[in-house]
Amino acid sequence: MRLNAENIKGMLLRYIVAIVILAALFTLPFWGGRYIVMLVMLMGMYITLGHMWNLLAGYSGLTSLGQQMYIGVGGYTLAVASTNLGLPLVVGLIMGGIVSVIIAVGLSYLLLRMKGMYFAIATWMFAEAMLLIVATVSFLGKGQGLFITEARKLVTAQIYYFSIVLVVITTIVIVVLLRSKLGLGLFAIRDNDSASATSGVPQFKSKLYCMIISSFITGVCGGVFYMSQVWVQPYASFSISWTVAAVFIVVIGGIGTIAGPIVGGIIYVFLSQYLSTLSQIGSLNMVILGVIAVAVILVAPKGIVGTVQEKFGFEILSARRWLGKSLAKVPVAPAPASEAERES
Amino acid sequence: MRKILNVDNLHVAYGKFKVLHELSFDVEESQVLGVIGPNGAGKTTLMNALSGLVIPYDGTVVFDGVNITKKSPDERCRHGIGRTYQVPRPFEGLTVFENVLVGAAYGVGKSERAVIAKAVEVLKSTSLYEKSDTVAGRLTLLDRKRLEIARALATEPKLLLLDEVAAGLTDAEVHEVMELVEYLKGTGITIIWIEHVIKTMAESTDKLLCLSTGTGLIYGDPDYVMASKEVEEVYLGVEEE
Repeated sequence: MRLNAENIKGMLLRYIVAIVILAALFTLPFWGGRYIVMLVMLMGMYITLGHMWNLLAGYSGLTSLGQQMYIGVGGYTLAVASTNLGLPLVVGLIMGGIVSVIIAVGLSYLLLRMKGMYFAIATWMFAEAMLLIVATVSFLGKGQGLFITEARKLVTAQIYYFSIVLVVITTIVIVVLLRSKLGLGLFAIRDNDSASATSGVPQFKSKLYCMIISSFITGVCGGVFYMSQVWVQPYASFSISWTVAAVFIVVIGGIGTIAGPIVGGIIYVFLSQYLSTLSQIGSLNMVILGVIAVAVILVAPKGIVGTVQEKFGFEILSARRWLGKSLAKVPVAPAPASEAERES
Repeated sequence: MRKILNVDNLHVAYGKFKVLHELSFDVEESQVLGVIGPNGAGKTTLMNALSGLVIPYDGTVVFDGVNITKKSPDERCRHGIGRTYQVPRPFEGLTVFENVLVGAAYGVGKSERAVIAKAVEVLKSTSLYEKSDTVAGRLTLLDRKRLEIARALATEPKLLLLDEVAAGLTDAEVHEVMELVEYLKGTGITIIWIEHVIKTMAESTDKLLCLSTGTGLIYGDPDYVMASKEVEEVYLGVEEE
């Protein structure tokens, strides 16, 4: 890549901002209060959840209403792996991701033959079915759920690091993925699935990859969340409120943008904490969040990040492939002259 | 000349409604086959059946020696079939360059350098190079039509399906698109081309196929097809005495 002063300045600025943010995040438990640490930990988890829903709905056209299934599976797998099998917590988290992937791949052969509303309802149905199964199995504690005994030994700061590492890795995965060939194909599928198919983009395989990545990371995220709760219970872990939260985060932040779930996740955690101090009725909080989401859709349909990007003409963590940058990165031989050039 | 496409006894239906039936024809390599016929004759359905967007319930499609009847659209694209749409379907959130990159990356599938080189070559040849970084959703209809052709060309097709590339354009714009089609003909790509401008089709194609109510009415050299009573009847409703 050819470097000029402006490129170097821009790159330096981006690296400095990234290093400052990462340094602040990784040192927060040493200088921040316990409540702040807990808030940022929650933000990490909700941003991860938002990124994964955005990957499905914002880039692949797969509007899932069943993300709670992977949260629950991640939580339960962690509980069984650490408490029943005596495995380390990290292994339990990864196993939660793997079990989620196995379920997602198993269901994909049915789910990926559906589109739009049918896909959305089917994912919700499978999540509800999973809830009913888990809530009736004695081994999994039926309706009472399971304790994650090992997680009791951890302090908030330790779980905080699990959350931060997860959200940083997830953001990197999303950026790398969307800048890859698969990402280009996903953008094409999002914009027009039949035209993308006749342009050579393999529909089933591309969507399956998205489901695998999304289910794995959401499963791990569920494990990290229930590590902080110490107790996983079916009606909470398989609740649709997880997907509602993901939808809110992405709609507020900006669907189909990389920075959208980050902004949306921060707003969601602040709002839900603030609303919980105002009202003790959980469902009322959901109604208020819903009204806010509708208001944002009416005022700024592309979400906060989408609207700001459109207004000011820049993209945060952009996956855009500009001709000039591509040519600078991969110099190619001069192409044949265009018609206009040939005529002149 | 080698036959690149063989369509044999093709039957396509949407539910109980039969759109194509008993349709058979061949296309030779580097040939331009024009497909004409009144509205509802099944022209676009034929394009969908050839590109894999609809699967026939009977009959076979053999392309370049391979039976592709049950193959998916993306497999057909990688095998060498590119297409445009009557109503352009650009990837509206992507730039012109990115639209063409999709075709090059998935259709050609070579190194990053080769993919970018192919995209640049196609953008130049379709006069879209200057608009490379324009978001496709903001293009005019003429440029959208150009982009349809560019995206298909980027996949390096052996067979290109052109579905009414001139539809909805002004006379001046039609002239520009026709120049592009002439350029395509010069590249030696086999083309199946649907258009309603009969005069242009008669002048610019090697063979004509006239469809009527889902089946092949007449097939042959343009002069022979245009002089036939059947075509006159289909278009003008003239009955035999």
